[in-house]
Parts: sequence; C-alpha cells; structure tokens
Amino acid sequence: MIPSDHFTRFYNEVFKFLEDQGEEHLEAYWLEISKNQEKHTLKLFKEKGLKGMYEYWDHIRIEENCDMDLKLDDEKLELRMNVCPSLSKVLDNDAEPMKRYCDHCAGWIGPLIDKVDHHLVYDVIDRNKPQCVVKIFKDKEKAIEEEKNAKLLMGWPKKRK
Amino acid sequence: MKPILLENLYIKVNKNNLNQKLRYNDGGNVHMDFHGATNTTIEFIINKYGIDTMNDIFKKVGNDVYKDIKDHIKKGNIKMLAKHWQHFFDRENADYNISINDEEIILTVNRCTAYEHVRKLVGNVSPNFCDQTIKTNEALAEDTPYEIKTEILGEAACRQTIRKRA
Repeated sequence: MIPSDHFTRFYNEVFKFLEDQGEEHLEAYWLEISKNQEKHTLKLFKEKGLKGMYEYWDHIRIEENCDMDLKLDDEKLELRMNVCPSLSKVLDNDAEPMKRYCDHCAGWIGPLIDKVDHHLVYDVIDRNKPQCVVKIFKDKEKAIEEEKNAKLLMGWPKKRK
Repeated sequence: MKPILLENLYIKVNKNNLNQKLRYNDGGNVHMDFHGATNTTIEFIINKYGIDTMNDIFKKVGNDVYKDIKDHIKKGNIKMLAKHWQHFFDRENADYNISINDEEIILTVNRCTAYEHVRKLVGNVSPNFCDQTIKTNEALAEDTPYEIKTEILGEAACRQTIRKRA
C-alpha cells in the first residue's frame, strides 16, 4: 500500500511521466481526476452553489491538514492556502518534484467549476511555494476583473473564455 | 518430540519495540479518499499506456520516493521497513500484525482499509490495485541483499515478507 499520506508523492511521479509524453497527456489525466472528484462534489455544488463548495473545502481543510482560510460571501468563495500540505510533501521528498506540480489543482477544479456555471480564478502566486489563492465567483465579469490581480494565473483544459 | 511452532521463534512488533526514525513521519488527520484517486490513476495509466508503464511508475516510487528505506535495507536495517508498515497501517486503522526474527520480517494484513475504502467509494476495485504494493516492494528490494515477497491472500488481505536472498 502506498499510504494515503504519500499519495501526493505518487501523484508527482505520475505527473513527471505524463509531462514527458506531452501537455495533452497531462490534461487528459487532470480531466480524469476531475471526473473522479465529481462523484464527491458535483451534486453538492449544483444544489448548494458556493455554500456547497464551502462545505467541501472546509471538510478538505480538516482532513488534509491544510493551513487554509475560507471566506464565503454572497458573490464569491475565497480559499487562501497559507501552507499547502500537498506541495509541501512533494517538496519534502527524496524524489525530484515536478516543476509544475501546482498546475494539477486548477486542472481538475477548473472543469468542475465550469460544469456548475461558476467562475474560477486560480492564483498560484509562485510554483515553488506551498501557498495559493483561489476565488470562485457566481458572476463571470467579476471573475474576469479579479484575474487582473493574480500574480500567476492558472488555466485548465477547455477553459471557457 | 514436540514440533516447534514457527510462531514461537518470532517477536510480535508493537509500538514499543521498533525504535527507528522515519524519513516521512506523517501525523494529523488521514484522507482515505486519496486511495480512490490512486485507483483511478491505476486504471487510467493501464488503459492508456499499458501495465508496464504503471509498473515503471511504481518502481520509481520504490526507488526514489522511498530511497531512505531502500538505503536502510541495503545496509541490512530491515526494521526501518517494519517501522514504515507499522506507522502507516496504524494511521489507516488496518487490521494487521508484524512478526520479526533475526532472518525475516512478516507483515500480515488481515483487513486492508485502503482496499476497503476504495470498494466503498467506487464499488469495483481495480484488479491491479495491489500492484502498488507488489511492484513498490520489488523496487525497494532490487539491488539489495533482501527480497520482498508479497502474497495476496484474498480481497483486502496480504502477506509481505522481507528476508535475505538465498
């Protein structure tokens, strides 16, 4: 068994293999993970919108030991990841970290948020630091406006324009 | 003359008799759903690239991610692997035991909570789910004086034995 505690280091090895095959291989995998995550989240997000997303990430915050602040208001959900356990483990690793490890997060969350007609703004800030800011908006125009403030804005497969 | 029971030659490992410092010594909460993502990944990689590719990735996990355990095995300290088993099977609340003697260490998993969690999440567990154990173990032992044999005893059950090569 690869312990669940070490999944991210296994993930990192999968990413390195797929990156060597080409970008479309990585994206196909992120979409597969996104489909897998739909099983836990799609109904919740569709039915409860931002409140459902808050519930999901609040559960993740606890179960994955994230140092993360969550803020919900009428128009958006904001996740401020102060210390990301996923990237932290990949960096604290005897195997080489994939340079774009952070990209997978927008890679699976983006398509899911698209499906529930919300708008994701994913600022990774710096791929070498385990922190990021994620904002999910109801309103597309507000998301586009927020994108201008991002330091390192992430895209995802088939991002809606 | 009474036959000597093999069990009598082994010491059962508990929290107090394995004094090893793990390279990855995780604490806090446990996110079992990651096993579901492992199952999805195994299916994805095998369907798209074939089983050899999946096994190569597990080999990298054994050689690179677990380099520290492998280095200990090379030097003859197989107790580090037992400590790793103990720490993480405890964290995942598995039903298991570890027996140890001078020649070998045997991990018997009666109920693998990773396997059971995936079955609960997705219904059908990949037939290759346990390859993560078999292939990672093989890589850990490769180029060391030891072999690690993984026997699947049934659904969610296995025996893993590390012993000196003959």
